Amino acid sequence: MSEYKPKLVCFSCKFGWGYLTDEAALSSKIENWIPIICTGKIDAAHVINAFEEGADGILILGCPEGDCHYQDGNYEAKKRVYILHRLLEPMGIEKERIKLELSIDPEGRRIPQLVKEMSKELVKLGPCRKAKAAEKMPREVVKARGGE
Amino acid sequence: MTKPKVAICWLGSCGGCDEAVVDINEVLLRVAEAVDIILWPVALDFKYDSIRGLKDGEIVLSVVNGHVRNSEQEEIANLLREKSQLVLAFGACACFGGTPGLANLTTKEDIFNWVYRDAPTVVNPNGNYPQVSTHVNGKELTLPEFYDHVYALNDIIDVDYYLPGCPPPPYLVMYAVSAVLENKLPPKGSTLAPQRALCDTCKRNKSKPDRLAIREIKRIHEVEADPETCFLAQGIICVGPATRDGCGEACMNINIPCRGCFGPVEGVVDSGAKFVSALASILDVQSEEEITRIVDQIVDPAGYLYRFSLPASILKKKRG
Repeated sequence: MSEYKPKLVCFSCKFGWGYLTDEAALSSKIENWIPIICTGKIDAAHVINAFEEGADGILILGCPEGDCHYQDGNYEAKKRVYILHRLLEPMGIEKERIKLELSIDPEGRRIPQLVKEMSKELVKLGPCRKAKAAEKMPREVVKARGGE
Repeated sequence: MTKPKVAICWLGSCGGCDEAVVDINEVLLRVAEAVDIILWPVALDFKYDSIRGLKDGEIVLSVVNGHVRNSEQEEIANLLREKSQLVLAFGACACFGGTPGLANLTTKEDIFNWVYRDAPTVVNPNGNYPQVSTHVNGKELTLPEFYDHVYALNDIIDVDYYLPGCPPPPYLVMYAVSAVLENKLPPKGSTLAPQRALCDTCKRNKSKPDRLAIREIKRIHEVEADPETCFLAQGIICVGPATRDGCGEACMNINIPCRGCFGPVEGVVDSGAKFVSALASILDVQSEEEITRIVDQIVDPAGYLYRFSLPASILKKKRG
């Protein structure tokens, strides 16, 4: 059996994570790394879109509580993540697939490490079962569209 | 001069959309004078065979309501598409899958097991389940195939225009009908309803504080809601901020919060996802415990935020 490699998307706040390092050099070590200006900028649709595009997990790295450059962006992210946990679980996306870490790491050294740790957990969960029922179109529709 | 042919048809529908057509009252008589209604299963006795006998594109407009969940509904949708110049997806079910679309949270197997085996009122000692084909006394009986999934109309056929609502209000039905008759239609793919969010026209908007901040979420039946005040300010979830305007505030007027039957505002695909961000920002809590406490007060968030639009949502829409 070939080894399953989960697809993880990592969003990180530029004010707390990796701002002292060369972004290009660090990004070569982390697949699907998206530095953003504030975790409060992450819309629920960004997370949902990532799953739709095939992500198995989302890691969001924000500033420590009380330290948001924009006052409360990290708290907004926290609330969104919890609502998303509740919203997506009935759709087959386990809550462990969306993780939020509020801390600070100017050098960004912990980012690859956190990505690795979460990837290990995702291996245990297996591929995301998102929208499983939706993947199967009626035979007739597939046929009419020139499929099998 | 022959009158333009119009078909009105229901697929997976409750009949409320057809009722909405009747609700245009005497205008319907003028419509009937201007067009030749050649199919309307809920009201008139026409046969699908007569539609099959038409030339392609002979029907000027097909008004189709309801979702698609079985092979019969799919066949009729395809037939009407073939024979029509324009197809209007009419009502929330045709536009986004509607409330029946919430069935996409479960599987066909679970639905069949509940309906034909496990529900307390079911007596089915032989364990009979509906079959697509059954042979009885040398004869074959057939039933449409029940699909795994509920589909919005544009998952199955090309749709020219959309008129959402559960059901669409009479004034928008009239606008749509006259736009077709007078040939004043907007570009293909348009939704024949306002583009803004419901909050923009809601009378309760004035009562909204500068910054909404709620610490409790209540359900509408648990409180006596103030009929003048913004529901969100009262801690009652109202999906108006993420829902298209145009319904005429039928629910608001009877003191019921918006449930989202008009679907997302222009340019937004997933109204549920948009509402998550809006909702998070008005929750006046910061600690983990408080967030858990308040969010857990929402019973069935997936059902609430996608009440009418699950089959059209990012995660549950059809794929290739």
